Amino acid sequence: MNSSFLWRNRVVLTSGLLLLLSAHMLTTGVRPRDQAARPNEILMGVLSPVQSSSSHLVEAAHDFWHDYIALVQVQRENQKLRAELAKFQNERARLTELEIENRHLSELLGLREALGMRAIAANVIGSDATGLSRTLILGAGSRDGVRAGMAVLSNEGVVGKLIAVSPTSSRVLLIDDHNAALDAFDQRSRVRGIVAGVVDDGLTMKYVGRTADVRPGDSVVTSGLDGTFPRGLLIGEISRVERQGPGLFVNVLVAPAVDFRRLEQVLVVIEPPPRVVAQDQG
Amino acid sequence: MARLVLLFAAATLAALALQTMLPYWLPLGPFVPDLVLILAVDLGMRHHSAIAALMAFVMGYAIDAFSGTQIGLNAFMITLVFLLAYELSTQLLVTNVIVGVVAVFVGVIIKDLGSIAISSGLAGLTGNPALMRTLFGQAAVSALLAPLVFAAMARGKKVLGLLATGRREDNKSGRRWLT
Repeated sequence: MNSSFLWRNRVVLTSGLLLLLSAHMLTTGVRPRDQAARPNEILMGVLSPVQSSSSHLVEAAHDFWHDYIALVQVQRENQKLRAELAKFQNERARLTELEIENRHLSELLGLREALGMRAIAANVIGSDATGLSRTLILGAGSRDGVRAGMAVLSNEGVVGKLIAVSPTSSRVLLIDDHNAALDAFDQRSRVRGIVAGVVDDGLTMKYVGRTADVRPGDSVVTSGLDGTFPRGLLIGEISRVERQGPGLFVNVLVAPAVDFRRLEQVLVVIEPPPRVVAQDQG
Repeated sequence: MARLVLLFAAATLAALALQTMLPYWLPLGPFVPDLVLILAVDLGMRHHSAIAALMAFVMGYAIDAFSGTQIGLNAFMITLVFLLAYELSTQLLVTNVIVGVVAVFVGVIIKDLGSIAISSGLAGLTGNPALMRTLFGQAAVSALLAPLVFAAMARGKKVLGLLATGRREDNKSGRRWLT
């Protein structure tokens, strides 16, 4: 009788046990850097060659589309010349790509020198597996010296923080993810707040008092107090300040300085930033 | 059963690779199709076994490697969606593609709402009009792609000699999965 009951409800019972297991993982707070997340690191390592090669494949397909498909309508007598042209265009596209990459890397190098800290450049090889979270996959891992918790920057500003690292790849939590938060201040008025992501809605600066001097157009920079990001890096610009409604704080919306969807190369700061002592900035 | 596990493992890896690559190369914005969830719905509606439940859990756990900050969040939500798809299929006389598409649409909304509620609390669900647009957009894109994924999986199962007739695994009454 009992075994019949168990057998009849095996799917529900197994699912229930697995739900309890995942709820346990959630409540005990297993983070991507914990030992229990080891299988996930292995999985990241398994997929990173696929992502890297797909990334190159898509680039090649993109070049192919521009250099060859556009020439399909060419007359027969011009085919040879067109093929030559396509070859040079392909070469030019490749050189342009190299030039762009070189420029990005030079900018990152300039940023690294300006920071005066040890940092390495990494390619972006993938995006988040769901539309709700904001993470990127980088083609640099623990073999390159990167560790979870390190700051990721671009020449435009702050990108995010590494949350999971496998030997060959790593995952960065972007600052516009709804679970991200970093200490920041208004560069003009020195008003401090916490910059956090909003689901599909950019950035918001929290805990800014109603009487605080914040205006649209002000630059928001890192305070360095969180121990992850160096002080004074650009996060974005205040786009709107809403004071209506009750409450102690104003609603400050921040437009990020970095276009996260167009990132190709980033800089991972592999040296912890110098310690900053909090001052009264309000 | 081993062939089924292999098929779903390969499909999950392919789905994850696509889900992480597509948003980077196409201007999808937040509307990334949840291909792994479609696989979980397929499992829940057609494969009524404890191994299938375990597979759904592992698929969710695999998403956790490539999304969000909390390990176990997607494992929980995908197992839940699998269970709901299973319950739905046991209550209906016919589980066809349309039912599958509806299950995917509702499943994506449940998964996303649940994920936000668990990771950000109920405050994350309120006061953000863009959120509903994102949820419905993602659910619609996933639902649109669901018939393709179902057909691809049916084809894969047929090639591997699984469920050649298209019937549910525990189907005693001849109810058919109409693909």
